[in-house]
Amino acid sequence: MSNEFDLSHPPFDLLNSREQQQLVSSLNIGYFGKDETIIDAGQEGQAVYIVLKGAVVEIDPDVFDKNPESGAIREYAQEDLFGAISIINGTSRYMFRAIEETIAWLLPKTVFLTLLEANEAFATYFQNTLAEKARLLEVRRSEKQGGGDMSSFMLAKVGSSVLREAVILESGTSILDATRTMREQQSDCLLVKSKDNYGMVTRTDLLEGVVLNNMSLDSDICDLASYNLLTVQSEDFLFNALVLMTRHKIQRVVVFDHDTLAGLVELTDVLSFFSSQSHVIGLQIERANNLEELARAAQGTTELINGLVSQGVKIRFAMDLLAALNGRIIAKAYEQLVPEEIRKKTCLLVMGSEGRGEQVLKTDQDNALIIADDLDWPECAQVMEKFTNTLLDFGYPLCPGNIMVSNPEWVMRESEWKKTLNHWSASVEGTGLMNLAIFVDAHAVAGNSRLFKRLQSHLFNSLEGNEVFYSYFAMPLRRFSTPLTFFGGLKNSDGMDIKKGGIFPIVHGIRTMTLQFKIKETNTFLRLEALVEKGLMKKKFADDLAEALAVMSTLRLQQQLKVETGQAALGEDNLVCAVELNKLDRDLLREALHLVKEFKSRMTHRYHLER
Amino acid sequence: MVLKTIRSATDKWAHKDGDYAFMFEPYDGDEVIALDCEMTDLDPQKAELVSIAAVKIKGTQVLTSEKLDIKLQKPESLTGDSIKIHRIRGVDLRGGEVLPDALGQLIDFIGNRPIMGYYIDYDITVLNRFIRPRFGFSLPNKTIELSHSYLNKVKRANPELQPDLHFEKIAEKLGVPMVGQRHSALGDAITTALMYVRLLKGPIPTS
Repeated sequence: MSNEFDLSHPPFDLLNSREQQQLVSSLNIGYFGKDETIIDAGQEGQAVYIVLKGAVVEIDPDVFDKNPESGAIREYAQEDLFGAISIINGTSRYMFRAIEETIAWLLPKTVFLTLLEANEAFATYFQNTLAEKARLLEVRRSEKQGGGDMSSFMLAKVGSSVLREAVILESGTSILDATRTMREQQSDCLLVKSKDNYGMVTRTDLLEGVVLNNMSLDSDICDLASYNLLTVQSEDFLFNALVLMTRHKIQRVVVFDHDTLAGLVELTDVLSFFSSQSHVIGLQIERANNLEELARAAQGTTELINGLVSQGVKIRFAMDLLAALNGRIIAKAYEQLVPEEIRKKTCLLVMGSEGRGEQVLKTDQDNALIIADDLDWPECAQVMEKFTNTLLDFGYPLCPGNIMVSNPEWVMRESEWKKTLNHWSASVEGTGLMNLAIFVDAHAVAGNSRLFKRLQSHLFNSLEGNEVFYSYFAMPLRRFSTPLTFFGGLKNSDGMDIKKGGIFPIVHGIRTMTLQFKIKETNTFLRLEALVEKGLMKKKFADDLAEALAVMSTLRLQQQLKVETGQAALGEDNLVCAVELNKLDRDLLREALHLVKEFKSRMTHRYHLER
Repeated sequence: MVLKTIRSATDKWAHKDGDYAFMFEPYDGDEVIALDCEMTDLDPQKAELVSIAAVKIKGTQVLTSEKLDIKLQKPESLTGDSIKIHRIRGVDLRGGEVLPDALGQLIDFIGNRPIMGYYIDYDITVLNRFIRPRFGFSLPNKTIELSHSYLNKVKRANPELQPDLHFEKIAEKLGVPMVGQRHSALGDAITTALMYVRLLKGPIPTS
């Protein structure tokens, strides 16, 4: 039946059939004219309202009179629910008003309270934070789509999947004994304990040691071992181990359970575990010996990510994987075009969303080059031009702002960079600060990363304590309004720019804070974690912001895919239309935008942006 | 109208000490009953009742929690034609209420409240054909015709206009969603009720 009360959405699907029956038989329908107040601030809640048609705004009356935009807290449209919190709290903190003619189902207070009492899951729903709600909705969504496998698969932990027991030898063991042990244990690699440190010796190390370096068979394997081991915790996602291996071109990582060694994870095991396309591309990239082969590998990444996301893989994982793959492709291209002795004295940076590791489709090239002061490299401009064109061939569009190594303004000697950074941070006008914001997200992908680290510390130190600078730097946060009023008038809603209205404020606000507190991470999610670790942000708020960012990025990706497949017009990459969203997405987006707004107001306060 | 007034006066006198005296009290509350019946024929003198639905309206709320939704046992005249209209087959009515019980429930539910509906006189005429022989009176309630209220309001706003008075058209013009299944008595009663509260409050369509 059309327009029957829909019990298939959360939270009503949490009720059992008897409770659902009780709910449906107690519903009334209310009609509210345009601008009619449905619940007044301070009024006792009498019913839970579920919008059947129309739109309702939640208003903070004290603020609304002065500033209607910031006084409007949330909007509710078809199938949305409001008034529950007013009942739980006794009275309503805010005012609910119909923006257009509204027809709503009314669930009487007494029945609602009975249901809260009787059904714990239903009651919890109304107390959940965004992160919890999102998880709940996601679980239900993947159950509905029958695609639960992939996400559970992606959520496999290191410790419970492909962990191998490590073969550990004491220091002083000879190469001969080590080789015997490896053979007996059928292992490709072993760990050697010297003092409190672990080193790793592989078959290749043994072979090269004996054959190439003429070591005798009774020499200590400690001299062969490599000690800069990459480690993961056993409760980390297996996926992260894969990303780590892809990023560092290594075959195994050591697994720790807090401080104690738990074992090893080998790339081949991880790959057979995932047995998806990702490793094929990873291997293609590593094996590519020329630009043509690399180009072929690069073509596959977009498809891979689309596949992963449509199978329900969390967007954060997809972003991480793509960042790792792209980073390797770009680094590999750089290695192909730039001779090794030059590479040692230069550092290639990727910036913007690429630098943050937050792009999902191939985004514009945003890159720059640092050249050591003592390097003389006359062919630089020519090679960089070729580099940019090579990436273009790989499918990375040119940067419309010309922030690329083919532009001499973004290729500088270290000392010139320092001067330029000083100049940018001293400027209070747009371009300088914008360039600086791009640079703050920079991430070294090829060449000598020490060049970049020095510049980064220089920047951090030169800005220390400069409150006025941060205030100017954070200013763009307020440039775009966050449209909470975008759910209203569903019929003729034009949609909103989710990048400007939702994603940018979070990214830029967090960027400002990390600059101020010298956090070196570039990824927004990792930056949030670092802020929590330093005690600069409450964990709950950071988690919610991360979830909000993930929600909005997913919606943006869906829109971008629509543009790619011709279902949406070109240039509408960031446009999200409330009408086209399903109930779950709309709920999440509403909560996310609400958080963005809250975050913006905190940032405004922190950096004194009210001018 | 005159006939109804005289008839009601007579009925009132006849029932002044009976069980249904309350039906003849003047009503001073703020509730209205939205009523809709599904029938087997378009001729009120021949039509049999298939189902009866009524829902209370209080102010601008449609009290769907206080409703009457009765399916009746298969009447003799349920034929292929009406099955096509209502999509109620004989089998759907198996186990329905017997007519006298249904009418008793309806009278108790309505009481002396005004009755509102779409072409409501037709429904009332058929109902009275069955009520009068069993209860000795016809429904004395004040009636409100939805299409008249709508027509009057539209005409007042724009005298030139000849509005389309089809059920779906009115609902569409008023922006009222069809609740429940179209041509189910309850669904139509609720939709009619929504149109009624909408007419009380919302803007008048001017095209």
